[in-house]
Amino acid sequence: MYILSRVVFSLVCWWLLASPLQSAETIHLGNPGEPETLDPHRYNLRLEETILTDLFLGLTTFNARGQIVPGAAAAWTTSSDGLTWTFTLRNGLKWSDGKTLTAHDFVYAFRRLLAPETAASLAYFMYPLKNAEAVNSGKLPSEELGARALDDHTLLLSLEAPYPHLPERLLYPTGYPVPKHLIDRVGDAWVKPKNWVSNGAYRLEDWQPQSHVTLVKNDYFFEPVEIERVSYHPLANEQSAYNRYRAREIHAISSFPSGELDRVRKDFASHLRLSPLLSIVYLVFNTTVVPFEDTRVRQALALVVDADLITVKVQRSGNVANGSFVPANVVDYTPAVMPHLNLNRGERRETALRLLREAGYGPDNPLRVTMRYVSGTEAKKTQLAIASFWKNIGVETQLHHAELKVHFADLRQGDFQVAQAGWFGENNAEHYLGLLVSDTGNVNYGRYANPEYDALMHAARQKANVKVRNVLLRKAEAVGIAEYPVIPLYSVMIRRLVDPAITGWHENSRDTHPVRFLGWR
Amino acid sequence: MARFLLTRTLSTLFTFWLIVTVVFFLMRLAPGGPFDGERRLPPEVETNLRAAYNLDKSLPQQYIDYLGMLGRGDLGPSFRQKDFSVNELVATGLPVSLTIGGLALFIAITLGITVGLKAGLAPGSRSDMLLMGVTNVGIAMPTIIVAPLFILIFGVALGWLPTGGLGGFTHYILPPIALALPFTAAIARLTRGSVVETLSEPHLTTARAKGLTERMIIRRHILPIALLPVVSYLGPAAAALLTGSVVIEQVFELPGIGRYFVQGALNRDYTLVMGVVVVYAALILLFNLLVDLAYARMDPRIRLQP
Amino acid sequence: MIRSVVTSALFDTRLARICSLILGAIVLLAWLGPLFSGWKFDEIDWDALESPPSATHWFGTDFIGRDLFVRSMLGARVSLGIALVATVVSVLVGIPWGAVAGYLGGRTDQLMMRFVDMLYAVPFVLIVILLVVIFGRNPYLLFMALGAIFWLDIARIVRGQTLRLRTQPFIAAARLLGVSTPAIVLRHVVPNVMGPALVYATLTIPGVILAESFISFLGLGIQEPDTSWGVLIADGTQTMESSPWTLIFPGVLLAMTIWCTNMLGDRLRDRMEAATGYTRASGRRVQEGRVPGGRALGGRRT
Repeated sequence: MYILSRVVFSLVCWWLLASPLQSAETIHLGNPGEPETLDPHRYNLRLEETILTDLFLGLTTFNARGQIVPGAAAAWTTSSDGLTWTFTLRNGLKWSDGKTLTAHDFVYAFRRLLAPETAASLAYFMYPLKNAEAVNSGKLPSEELGARALDDHTLLLSLEAPYPHLPERLLYPTGYPVPKHLIDRVGDAWVKPKNWVSNGAYRLEDWQPQSHVTLVKNDYFFEPVEIERVSYHPLANEQSAYNRYRAREIHAISSFPSGELDRVRKDFASHLRLSPLLSIVYLVFNTTVVPFEDTRVRQALALVVDADLITVKVQRSGNVANGSFVPANVVDYTPAVMPHLNLNRGERRETALRLLREAGYGPDNPLRVTMRYVSGTEAKKTQLAIASFWKNIGVETQLHHAELKVHFADLRQGDFQVAQAGWFGENNAEHYLGLLVSDTGNVNYGRYANPEYDALMHAARQKANVKVRNVLLRKAEAVGIAEYPVIPLYSVMIRRLVDPAITGWHENSRDTHPVRFLGWR
Repeated sequence: MARFLLTRTLSTLFTFWLIVTVVFFLMRLAPGGPFDGERRLPPEVETNLRAAYNLDKSLPQQYIDYLGMLGRGDLGPSFRQKDFSVNELVATGLPVSLTIGGLALFIAITLGITVGLKAGLAPGSRSDMLLMGVTNVGIAMPTIIVAPLFILIFGVALGWLPTGGLGGFTHYILPPIALALPFTAAIARLTRGSVVETLSEPHLTTARAKGLTERMIIRRHILPIALLPVVSYLGPAAAALLTGSVVIEQVFELPGIGRYFVQGALNRDYTLVMGVVVVYAALILLFNLLVDLAYARMDPRIRLQP
Repeated sequence: MIRSVVTSALFDTRLARICSLILGAIVLLAWLGPLFSGWKFDEIDWDALESPPSATHWFGTDFIGRDLFVRSMLGARVSLGIALVATVVSVLVGIPWGAVAGYLGGRTDQLMMRFVDMLYAVPFVLIVILLVVIFGRNPYLLFMALGAIFWLDIARIVRGQTLRLRTQPFIAAARLLGVSTPAIVLRHVVPNVMGPALVYATLTIPGVILAESFISFLGLGIQEPDTSWGVLIADGTQTMESSPWTLIFPGVLLAMTIWCTNMLGDRLRDRMEAATGYTRASGRRVQEGRVPGGRALGGRRT
């Protein structure tokens, strides 16, 4: 018994010592999943982007309201043909280890991103750079890349074709600098907390997978920040995120169960933050497999999907039905909607049945479909509703769900028939419409290829003027959407709970909330 | 005794080898690999990557290399968690899992034996009926229901304890209890059963005749014999406990190897899943071996073997 | 004899009668229930999304407006079906293994039983999950894999019974008459151990049901639109606050089934042992404890 009590006593001591001190300075934020990597050139997911935004500072950056403002670059100029961009860096920029950051670091970073050895999934984000694609596929040496340092403070980017949205593109981690002096020394181990160096407002302090990623203030950052330390917790499950928020363990969560929305409105009104996200959730058809190479089949399936019913009755979480591939809240752009939206429900069903009959499907030969989606309650509801719409026209749907990473890995491989997909982020139509261009690569999940669409997109991409571009883009969208390579469903309404004691939290259409702007009331 | 020790150790090693082999070849049957989902890669890069994951050699060679790696205690890189090796993941997750599992075992054993003894010493009494009724319900309540209810009641509604994640020692209260519940019930029933049986044995009458106090009788004559089945139950219970901890870690979002296992399984992180199974198997086998040895010490039939 | 043992174990006390009644009702409802309710298992009632129990939806509806009663009964079919198949598999593997080991005895017996002992130490549910990861979420695979886990106990019991049978005069007589070993095992040993083996097999049912619900709960088991109790409970825990009935009904069904099968299984076993005079002299330490969430357990052979 004596020994036993000793054991218990030492166990208790060990806990007390092992438990991290819950510092009042630390802000605890929920993130919808576990990052696969914190290397900005290997990243893939939005939830990684959230953390990387705090760790690094690109040439451009967000302000507290999600608008694009100068970041590491103090200012930039564009040549009249829109092909050459000159960025002037801020004075006195430093890495978190105190070393000076120069334009050469950016050149190194762009070359590293596009080097074939890095195998960066999102390398194509920087394809607007001159020779980027050739360098990325190993056809040209990395010295040929259109990124040069004129001196320590001046960076020159030359482009393949005019790209007016470059400042927006540079917001992404693919445009972040990485510490060459460290990578040369320790290689891939540079991402370990004990080695870590970055140039953002925070640096990596600790990472325990499935528990937390903790960042601590970078004393060399050019601006003062209020929050000393931030912990990101992977909370993939909405219910447990909601539980932990209510138990006051987490200060802000990225989502909660949609069924709780009414109760939250009543009990936690001052905590609730709803903001429409620049995003489109859609169904994509694999246009290379039978029967989805047939436009009639795709159209028939699209005709009976009632996105309003899904958002209003099934989801009840504020998502907004969207009839075009470009989200309705994108600026300076009038989207082209799916042509069938002017028909009433009965007409749509009639047409769908006729199209299926023409394609050779009917009661004796029912169409069988396998639809894939990302594991999760809201997606499950949505897909079940869609399956029931299709059942009404005699289509049998088999459902198959997988985790986010696996789902999109399979989509990029083209291993699906119909699948749920989503695209988030930029405030320009091209960002979305580019997904359907035949040479976009594997994020054109359905491998849609239409020469007319490609030609219109290509023409748009040669224009430096945004207005002129958008006119052509709209034409392209009208051509594309009429062939139904995708069924646009809705734009996401982000529903967060944020501790009212936090200041500096502003809803914005990108749902970005860099911690350096936050503080305590 | 020495022979018993030797054969048990050898068969434990053999079992471990068997599990590792089966798991290794199963994994090679799996679809996809570390690069599915990456962009089409230039051939030379793909070759480099394959070499990094040791996939460029023949299958027997890979197998031998893998055994060699295991011998050195190296579980390889993680397919999905790109910034970590499986060793690093196990090193961060194992202490969490062992703490939860150890505490649960501790609760199950102490509470289970106490309850079982209390009920068993007065079979048929009111307290016996009550305690056994409770344990009956305990066995039937699946962890997958109990754990979420615990969170809702003690974490959210009452606000007494954290609902999940790591932190201070308060984070280590609900999960072990939820995990231990069915095992406590099982041990209680087991103890009760064998106490009742031991009570009827003649040597107790002798002991009483010698004038020993009830306390002494319980300590010296009932418990040592009555606890034999409990000890032999512990080995398989440890295996079931680890399985249960997979669910517990998932529900309470604890970063133990059980959660890594489930996340690895859901995300097709083959190397991680394989590593965790190997670690689990090693743990369970080791524990079983220890239980066997303890049993051998306690059971005269084995202790006195030549 | 077996029949009378079974009947008395199932019906002789009030508790046993209640358990038998509950189980019978669940089986009957699983089988016939969906016929009485007008709803299909994958049919959405657009006018009753996530609505509480009512006259139209006896158990309420789930998160997408499907009738929870029909889905719980479908879940019962799947969960009980898996238990049944796994039990049959475990009997099919366990009886021959135990009978052969017990009949042949000696070194073969030692080797075969040593193998069974070894497998007890394998973390099987993890292996099943591994199989699911590799071969995809296939219900049949789940059925077989779970069956393959639970044969170990049957093999042990059957061996013990066979060891007793071996010394009986009628086996000795058969041997003297020159009946071949396979024929003796098949014609004389197996029929005689069948009864006890089946009784012990009932003890594995709750274990199988629990194991399946674990795996489905983790999202690695049955896929939509099919369902099982594990899936329903997993969904229920996601909506347990806004619509508690989605957790309560499948949860209570599962707990009741586990409780009743445990209860009746224990009674059956006790009666069996009393009737056959099998005192569990060495085996006693063995059968008594059962791992919750797991299989009926043996201890060490001593």
